[in-house]
Amino acid sequence: MSSTPRRYRRSAALALAVPLIALTACAAPESSASTAYEDWDAVLEDAEGQTVQLWMYGGDDQGNAYVDDILAPAVAEYGVTLERVPVTDTADALNRVFTEIQAGRDDGTVDLIWVNGDNFRTGKEADAWLCGWTDLLPSMAATDPDDPLLQSDFGTPVDGCEAPWQKAQFTLAYNAEAIPNPPTTLAGVLDWAEANPGRFTYPAPPDFTGSVFVREVLASVSGGADEVPAAYSDEAFDELSPALYDRLSELAPSLWRGGDTYPANEAELGQLFADRQIDITMTYGPATLTDLVADGTYPPETTVLPLEDGTVGNASFLGLPANSDSVAGAMVVANVALSVEQQVAKAQPDVWGQFTVLDIESLSDADRELFDTLPESPVVPGYEVLSENAHGELAAEWVPALDEGWRTGVLDR
Amino acid sequence: MTSSTLTTPRGPGRIVRLAVTALLVVWFALPFLPLVLWAFADGWSFPSPLPTAWGVQGIQDALGFGLLPGFARSVLLGLVVAAIATPLGALAARALTFGTVPFPRTFSALLLAPIALPPFAAVLGVNVLLLRAYIPPAIGVVVVLVVLALPYTTFVMRTAYGGYDLSYEEEARLLGAAPAQVLRRVHLPMIAPALARAAFLAFLVAWSDYIVTVIVGGGELVTLPLIVAGAAAGLGNDAAVAVMSLGAVIPPVLLLLAVLAVGGSGRATGKRRPSSALPNTISAAPSAHPTTSGASA
Repeated sequence: MSSTPRRYRRSAALALAVPLIALTACAAPESSASTAYEDWDAVLEDAEGQTVQLWMYGGDDQGNAYVDDILAPAVAEYGVTLERVPVTDTADALNRVFTEIQAGRDDGTVDLIWVNGDNFRTGKEADAWLCGWTDLLPSMAATDPDDPLLQSDFGTPVDGCEAPWQKAQFTLAYNAEAIPNPPTTLAGVLDWAEANPGRFTYPAPPDFTGSVFVREVLASVSGGADEVPAAYSDEAFDELSPALYDRLSELAPSLWRGGDTYPANEAELGQLFADRQIDITMTYGPATLTDLVADGTYPPETTVLPLEDGTVGNASFLGLPANSDSVAGAMVVANVALSVEQQVAKAQPDVWGQFTVLDIESLSDADRELFDTLPESPVVPGYEVLSENAHGELAAEWVPALDEGWRTGVLDR
Repeated sequence: MTSSTLTTPRGPGRIVRLAVTALLVVWFALPFLPLVLWAFADGWSFPSPLPTAWGVQGIQDALGFGLLPGFARSVLLGLVVAAIATPLGALAARALTFGTVPFPRTFSALLLAPIALPPFAAVLGVNVLLLRAYIPPAIGVVVVLVVLALPYTTFVMRTAYGGYDLSYEEEARLLGAAPAQVLRRVHLPMIAPALARAAFLAFLVAWSDYIVTVIVGGGELVTLPLIVAGAAAGLGNDAAVAVMSLGAVIPPVLLLLAVLAVGGSGRATGKRRPSSALPNTISAAPSAHPTTSGASA
């Protein structure tokens, strides 16, 4: 159900990852590793016969099917075998890489990771990514070099350490049968929740989706996303957060079960929505809504709720660990994944429905035609509509501070 | 018939016994009922008590998630771990029980240590060593899981050797049996039920493992728990997860039934042993003596 590699499983994984990173920083021989390749032909030559292991969140059967049935055969034409390794948490893949690097192994088993945000930053701080390789990819020519979503990943500069894969847009959806006159702003959503007690809730931070909802409320109570500085500072936090927690505390008694408990993650929130216990759900992966309505999981009247104040958008990437033993093969996979054919195939609502990272305006007429003729989803409007007034992610440092503040200021109130 | 009619329950006692058995069966079976319902539910919305649409979509989805290859890898991993951890556990238990090891208490504590360690920490730590030693990931998974299974197999075998009378082996040796014959015809048949129980536990350790397979396996072994956990983390997969969970329950249940069968015939064989202790009359396979139903009840 996610279109973004996610799950800050803070408990075990990261608690152990931190000391590992410290060790890794001392042990890593290939600090600031960059590619040895000068031209693409050499990459193609080396890639032939290599096996690439792509580690990715495994809970999205559409995503799994796309990789197995469409992407893997496409890279097989280059003599590259693509194997998908499902994980519940992207941090598992990073832990594997950190352990290998700590052990001094430069023939790592993780060749690509579907990644963004905190996991990317953690890996970059530990010099775990191969950098400066994405300029080699011929497919990169079709992306917009000035696209802010592709230049920085939750405030961490990308620096050619990961290849763009798809875009996501935080989206609210509602059951139109239950809400004939939906609100049009986030403040309106909160007011609606208070007028309809028990029919709204959000996942408890630090869940990825609950966390982004709290950031959206922060933008709303601060008078707009532009009022919140993207870079974190204690001053900005102290100035802006009291209004946020006051608003959410005020809202809590009107939530599902009176705010005594919150869904643990997006899947639980979606289950409440599927069961008609609540009337609004939220997701970073609106692409999956089409399928969830089609298979009867979600109510047939499910409709995307566009907000006048806009929502957060981000991009997710394919990261290449510095110690991969199939660097050339991984580059070929990243390049094929970024090609027009694959980006169009993946954007088909019945395949995966993920938004492209390519700059459609810059494409040739024939290629642009492919995107223009994509069938429209009856549930999810196009990316242009979803991303209207979209704003960027705050720096990754905001996230733990806001989540911890929510725990003490709202949950334990 | 070795059981006396005096111990056969009759009248009210029998009814109570049957009632308790039925209650226990319900107690164990009840948690699986929602799983079975979910497995064949194409739609199930709150607050309906039963699925609102029935079908086999869940089975198709489960196959799409890679149920079959994952299942096969899990079975293979479980069997390999059981095949290694069971004899090792038996050797350790025999040595500890018959005093060929100095400081048996210390050794017992060491053997039990893997249970006490938080698996995540232990696995991350040991994995660095395995990687430094260039142990192939699949072998690393087996090695680590064998270590995690050893406390269980050793414990079960210690209990078995606690009630094991060495004089049967001595008698066979006096009658001229070679060590190999003693092992095959006296020792193994007598501990067979305990071996089956120990192997069952070792199989379970490998069968249900997630973290060792992910971290140490390095993606080479995509077993059933990895696939189930991945699918369970997503939304709208409930039917597929239910099908896979049922698939994950079936092999242990079958094995448990097999263990109970071995246990039953083993006990009966043990009781017969004193009257047929001559090596040339001992059957190699205890199951060759069919156990009449009720004989071991």
